[in-house]
Amino acid sequence: MPYNEQPQLDVIQRWMQAVIVHPDGVAAGIESAAAQSEVKVSADQVDEVIDRSNSQSSIERLEVYAKAYRARLLEVLVGEYPALVHAIGEEVFVELANGYLEAHPPGSYTLAALGQYFPGYLAKSRPARDDEQPDWADFLIDLAHLERIYSEVFDGPGIEQITAISADDIQGLSVEAWLHSKLIPAPCLRLATFDFPVHEYATDVRCERQPAPPQAQMMHLAITRRDFIVRRVGLSEPEFKVLSALIARQTISEALESLLQTTGQPAAEITDDVRRWFHNWTVARYFVGIRSSQ
Amino acid sequence: MPAPRLGYPNLGLGVGLRTVHFPHLLQYQPAVDWFEIISENFMDSQGRPRSVLDQLAERYRIVMHGVSLSIGSTDPLNRDYLARLKSLADSVQAEWVSDHVCWTGVAGRNSHDLLPLPYHEQSLRHVVNRIRTVQEILERRIVLENPSSYVTFTSSTMSEAEFVARMSDEADCGLLLDVNNVYVSSVNHDFDPFEYIDQIPAHRVVQFHLAGHTNMGTHLIDTHDGHVIDPVWELYRHAHLHTGGASTLLEWDAKIPEFPVVHAEVLKARQYMSATLNPRVPWPIHPARQETASAVTVPHPASVLIAEVE
Repeated sequence: MPYNEQPQLDVIQRWMQAVIVHPDGVAAGIESAAAQSEVKVSADQVDEVIDRSNSQSSIERLEVYAKAYRARLLEVLVGEYPALVHAIGEEVFVELANGYLEAHPPGSYTLAALGQYFPGYLAKSRPARDDEQPDWADFLIDLAHLERIYSEVFDGPGIEQITAISADDIQGLSVEAWLHSKLIPAPCLRLATFDFPVHEYATDVRCERQPAPPQAQMMHLAITRRDFIVRRVGLSEPEFKVLSALIARQTISEALESLLQTTGQPAAEITDDVRRWFHNWTVARYFVGIRSSQ
Repeated sequence: MPAPRLGYPNLGLGVGLRTVHFPHLLQYQPAVDWFEIISENFMDSQGRPRSVLDQLAERYRIVMHGVSLSIGSTDPLNRDYLARLKSLADSVQAEWVSDHVCWTGVAGRNSHDLLPLPYHEQSLRHVVNRIRTVQEILERRIVLENPSSYVTFTSSTMSEAEFVARMSDEADCGLLLDVNNVYVSSVNHDFDPFEYIDQIPAHRVVQFHLAGHTNMGTHLIDTHDGHVIDPVWELYRHAHLHTGGASTLLEWDAKIPEFPVVHAEVLKARQYMSATLNPRVPWPIHPARQETASAVTVPHPASVLIAEVE
């Protein structure tokens, strides 16, 4: 459609948006198919749509918005993924982030949602592995996953206004009732497994300690929030398995039996571990309620 | 005789609530008339930001200022967003809810920028209809801010001041007169900012905004990163006289100094509430500092918080 005196409002909005979000700049945006399908005007004719000012061409004026669009979104992603930025440097991060923004343009009313698909985007666009061993790309993807979890836990639902279960709650139950209970996890509790100790790396970055990339080492983490601060704790494999089963709403008995079947250990051998785990989980406020399944 | 400020109270001199000031505010509880929050920074928060807001709302009066209403967009209104906005407004007993005369995106995208509209009859009808719908949903009259802008459209058939004035009258909404935005746009688009203010229906001005900006040499950018310059203060004096006074708020969104510095800046407004007019001076009286083009982008007060991790 050739440009006329007054295009429909939706047409001019789609045109302007196509122009200012184009990754190669305003002139390329004006010539893009998306913009041309709305308003058929070339870069050297754009003053038919956008007024020149006394000191700026129409393209220069549009560039104010184009630069602001990209700079703002990149600033948000840099802020959310500081450890990833440290690992690969800002230049490479911006390159990845620009690709992400093209694949997942912002649609939400909140900037908090901007980075939600970034870890998944990195996983999908990663280079092929040389072998089965975790590599540099896995480390970066792990970092991104962890930092996104931190964001979600930090400002998501928490337990600051909820009373978590205490040792007294547990001691008030018979052993039988206890074993057949299901525990209600704190809404902020998240479990995750990584191929690298990315939590230590991320903490070092936040403390400005300039960490070097770590060696691969499988890590199970429990990530939660207390007093509005995100807390993360490394878990042993058996502890992680039991905790995962409880979060999946298995009874305590089912969770422990499942572990024993996996390890082949007699129950007596894990009694002390189980006591210690439940003590730690109670102190850490991982659970906010007990529901009897009987 | 219509009620001034549409009947909304004059809250005095307020400050935009920013997360970097949370510790200071909680520790010292300074004597501030009121706070303006960025709605989107709190409407989904279930963590520290919302907890701090709830504490502050017990002591201070709160006004909500949004950046994602997108009243001018041709996409459908986001009803989920509006429901969340209303819920937050009810929860913190917001004095009023404001946003901008702009669009933020179309075709499902949100640019997270305050994009300008062409000003003509078609866009006026569109915006007026949407304001009416939003006011029905929110069950209150909303307050809309004149944006700072960097382009104008050849298809516009009226000035921004005429558009804003007609819009507020026809939709029966309030206005947030951002004096710095008037100044920034007046330089960028070569109009008289005093004439702009004279065209604004005085009784609809519920609130003023003040802020710093950056002179790029060829244009001004509304950076909210410094002190208010003298020409903007003079414009504020004019706006104060024109309207009879309204709640006044300072925005500071980049290179944010310690809270007392920000608060002291808005308190300067008292000096400009005098009934004695300075002789009308040609503008700009003197430019704000000049920056290189690469160093500056348009700021955005909505932010993603950096998670606090043990």
